[in-house]
Parts: sequence; C-alpha cells; structure tokens
Amino acid sequence: MTAILEAHALGMQYGRRRALADCTLNLPPGHVVGLVGPNGAGKSTLLKLACGFLHPTAGSISVLGNTPGSGPEQLARVGFLAQDAPVYANLSVADHLRLGARLNPRWDHGFVARRIAQLELDPAQKAGKLSGGQRAQLALTVAAGKLPELLILDEPVASLDPLARRGFLKHLMESAAENGTSVILSSHLISDLERVCDYLIVLVSSRVRLAGEVDEIIAAHHRIVCTRRDPEALPAGLEVVSAEHTDRQSTFVVRSGAPLPAGDWAAEPLSMEELVLIYMETAGPDPDPDPGPRPAIQDAQDAR
Amino acid sequence: MIWLTWRQFRTQGFAGLAFLAAVAAYLLITGTQLRHSYTADLATCRPQNDTCFGLLNGLQSDYNGPLQLAELLVMAAPAVVGIFWGAPLIAGELERGTPYLTWNQSITRFRWLAVKLAGVALASVIAVGALSLLVTWFASPLDTMSGNRFGTQAFNARDITPLGYAAFAFVLGVTVGLLVRRTLPAMAATLAIYFAVQILVTAAIRPNLLPTTTTTVPINQSTMSSQAVRFDRSEALTGPVTISLSAPPGSWALSQTPVLTSAGQPVQTGTVLTCWSRLLSQGGAGKQGSPDFGPLGACLAPYDLHVDITYEPADRYWPLQQIETGLYLALAALLTAACFSRIRKLRG
Repeated sequence: MTAILEAHALGMQYGRRRALADCTLNLPPGHVVGLVGPNGAGKSTLLKLACGFLHPTAGSISVLGNTPGSGPEQLARVGFLAQDAPVYANLSVADHLRLGARLNPRWDHGFVARRIAQLELDPAQKAGKLSGGQRAQLALTVAAGKLPELLILDEPVASLDPLARRGFLKHLMESAAENGTSVILSSHLISDLERVCDYLIVLVSSRVRLAGEVDEIIAAHHRIVCTRRDPEALPAGLEVVSAEHTDRQSTFVVRSGAPLPAGDWAAEPLSMEELVLIYMETAGPDPDPDPGPRPAIQDAQDAR
Repeated sequence: MIWLTWRQFRTQGFAGLAFLAAVAAYLLITGTQLRHSYTADLATCRPQNDTCFGLLNGLQSDYNGPLQLAELLVMAAPAVVGIFWGAPLIAGELERGTPYLTWNQSITRFRWLAVKLAGVALASVIAVGALSLLVTWFASPLDTMSGNRFGTQAFNARDITPLGYAAFAFVLGVTVGLLVRRTLPAMAATLAIYFAVQILVTAAIRPNLLPTTTTTVPINQSTMSSQAVRFDRSEALTGPVTISLSAPPGSWALSQTPVLTSAGQPVQTGTVLTCWSRLLSQGGAGKQGSPDFGPLGACLAPYDLHVDITYEPADRYWPLQQIETGLYLALAALLTAACFSRIRKLRG
C-alpha cells in the first residue's frame, strides 16, 4: 500500500528562519500517528506541508502518493483541521455542514447527521457562539465528513479543557474507525496522544528525533542502571540516548535493535511519556546551525 | 462555492440593496418633479422669450442641491464598494484563519478566489451601474440646460465611467487586503489609493486621452461684441493681455492662449494701452470711458490679434467615456492577475 506520508530530506525555510530540516519519514497507512515536539519545533510546518498549504524549500514530500494540494482530487483525499479550529463565526452550525456538502464530492450526510446529533449541537447556533470544545468538534465533523483517506490535525486539543479533550479524541477515534481513516495529529504533550496513537514521531528543533510504531519504540528502549562507567564500556549494538552519572552509579537510556543482552545491570522498560521527554531534553534547546548527534554524557554532566 | 460566496456576502449585499432602493426612491421622486417643472417652465416662457434664460437658471439653482448630492453618491459609491466589499473579502478571512477551513474542502484556492472575486465584483458593478443610471436619468434635463458634460462631476458621475471605477475599486480593495492581510489597514489603503488614482486620471490623464482640437478666434468686432478687454495693470505696462472667450458649445475647453499677434507672440498690455489712450485723447471713446471695439480694433488691426483655444469637441464625450472605462477595467484586470499570482504564493 502507498505510504500515507513520504518525505525525503524535506526542509522548510521562512526567510532566514529554519522551520524544518532534513526530515525523512515514511508513514505506513492505517495508523494513528502522533507528532510530538515542544512549541516551535516545526510540527505545524510539517503538517502544513503535508496538506499543501506550504511548498517545501528543500527535499520532497508526497502524501498518499501525490504532491500535497495538487488539485481537487488530492484535497478531497486529505482532511485538515488547523490549530484553533477556525470556523466562520457568523455562520451557523448548519451552514458549516452545508458548506462541507457543497464543496466536497464525497460528503457523507448520514455520518455528519449522526455526529451532530451525538454532539448535541444546535444546527441553528452561530459557530461564533460555540464553546471551544464544540467549535473543535464542529471543525472535526466538517473535516471528517468529506471522508478523507488521511485526516491531519494540528494541535487539536491544545486549547480544550480535559473533559473536552476526552470527548474530542473519542469523537476522532470513532470517526477514524468508522471511515477507515489514517490520522496524523500533533501536540506538544505526549499525554494528550498516548491513549490514541500507535505510531509516534518526535520532532525537536526542526529535526525528527524519533519515528516508529509505539510498540516497537517501547520494546527497543531500556533504562539501565549499573555501576559508574563510560558509555563506551557498554556492549556494542546499544545506542546511548542519554546518560546520567552519580558518584557510584550510571543510568543509561539505550536503544537496541535486538533484545537487550544480559549484563551486570538492572534493566527496566520506559513509559512513552518518559521516553519522549528524554528525547526532547537530549536534543538541547537550539542546535545551531547543525548540531549533529551530541555526546549525551556531556549534557547530563552539564545538568548536574 | 457560489453558495458560500452568496452566504458570506448576503448581509452586505442586502445592506447595499436597501441603500440603493432608498436613493432610487428619492431620485425618482425628485427627478419626476424636476421634469414637470422643466416642461411647465418651457411651455410658459417659450412663447415670450426663446431662451428662457432666467427661468431655467432658477430651475437649475433649485435643483443644484439634489444634483450635488446625487453626484457625490455616484462618486463615493466605488470607494465604498472597494472599502466595504473589496478590502474585507480576503483580508477578513486571512485574519480569522478561515481559509484553513475552506481551502481544505475539495476545491483549490484558485477556484475559491475566482468565485469570490467574480461574484462580488459583479454585484459591485451592478450596484454602482444602477446608481449611475439613476443619476444620469435624474440629471439629464439639468445637463441639457447647462450644456456641460465634461465637468469633473458631470463626467465622473454619469453613464458608464462609474462601472469602470467600481470594478477597479473593488479589485483594488481585494488586492490590498490580500497583500496587507488585515482588514482595517487594507480599507484605509484602498481609500487612499483609489482617490489618488481618480485624481490622477481626472486631472492628468483624461485631457491627454484623445488628440485635442485647436481653433483660432480672431479679435475683431464680431467676436468682441460681448467681451471686454481685460488688462494686466502692471506698472511696467508689459505682460500679456487675456480675454475670456468660450469654446464651441458643449465642448470641453482645455486651455486658451493669451491674446497673440500674427507672429504668435503675446501682445503686450502697453500696446493696447497706447491705442486706448490715443482714442481717449481723440475723444473717440464710447460712453463711460469704455471704448467701442470699432476704433480700438482699427488701431489694433495691424497686429492681427487672435486667441488659440484648445478643446475636445462635444462628440468626444462618448469616446472619452469608453476609453476611460476601458482604462479602469484594464487596471482591474491587472490587479486580478496580481491576486491570483499572490494567492499561489500565500503561505498558510
């Protein structure tokens, strides 16, 4: 099957500011992909490139096998929900649904009607008078109602309260499951995405730090606690992600393609949240101009 | 997309329509009254006095207020359309991030822009065109009386030029909005640019659109019968002499030379004064010290005095209307092309 998103050395530069650099990705279909990174990491840029709002300044990107935003057919296949879920404040809920029905060839009236009934939205209400959660739900309904093959959501829950977040993600997952849609959604908090994603991309300082299926990532990473030693002393095949040292002992987070070899250490798995935080921290605040892989031990010593 | 354009434009459209209806009612009533008075006046005075000058003059001044108001409306309408329909069309959307919603439906942003532009541009041209038509009808008796079709207000607020202005002002508003991306600054810039272009075209470009006609009027008894020679009363007794002569009726007088000699040089005040004082000393002056032109003319005859008047003939009215409308439509087309090129490069 065609990858939902394929990027090669993708880069985006706004004037002198670099928003995304050297991004190579291949997202297999049928996933709910979480895109995590701190504010300003380039998440929005990547998503806007994917739906054709932006054109890359370097490299190439294809979505569902085509150039993003290349024409009405491509637009019909990709749904996008922008940050803060923009709606027309002076148009009613019903007007928005009519807008979706008029502007999309594959509009699913039944699906949309069911969603609106479930959400208990009043069709006559002006969209400007909706709560933040309701507005996001409306925008999601419009984006999902055109039955896209891929639904892209940029920070969909950032401005919602915890209850609205839950409701929104539930709605999203139900819609995606009902229509067999692949989903990419971004957030600066892994906790927002942990429950719904089965594929994860960590983007820090305009670079992809980590990408893969959640299960595989969890299985490949270990925290090792052992007597104090240099990372070089660890067996070959272990990639050190971070290292911390006290007087007596060292704590490493390592990545290993194969099962972890036995050794004179205590090993434990990491939660997704811990792992993402470690990747975000080790990237450093601003790798300028090209940081390359930093020696992780140096960071930890600086931190001490 | 047509539905969405209509749905978004509906409120503004109805507001414009309501305003137009109010103006139409006023002009139709006033215009009908004007026509009644006009025919009645002509019927009463024609038998006695063929020109009806005084009576018609009174009628013109009676209706001067409504005429000024109507002309002001037609001249302001394109600017209003540019500011309130044009500038917010794209800028308002960009400000609120709604293109993220619409551009992700299954239509390209080019189609989105094309339908919005075409739909509201059509409404703008129709609205301003209807207003212009009404005012042209209302003012036609007054225009016949004044015989002045080339005055700034008469030319800019009649017939087809307002259509060109409306198309230009609307697309100007859209383009500025697309570039500035914020509604209020876009509105202000649209107003400033529109009036700058209007002033430039009216004052500097329109007189040069078509080749002008120049006629030479000799200064003699027949042309001077109703004129008085005005002197530049400088101490030095030099400087040109000017005489105000009118261009052919219904034409657009552009410029007039001072009184020239046969060599094409301006005649000096001293020359005329010399003739005049000679007449006075001979006692040949007319009553109240104003010399009849006959003797003065005889004295000045060797100089073969004449005045050159440059003007556009009356039949240039429609060619000028058409050319100027075309000019504004061409500007609007250029701006439209700029909009499409800009929206391609617009970053979300």
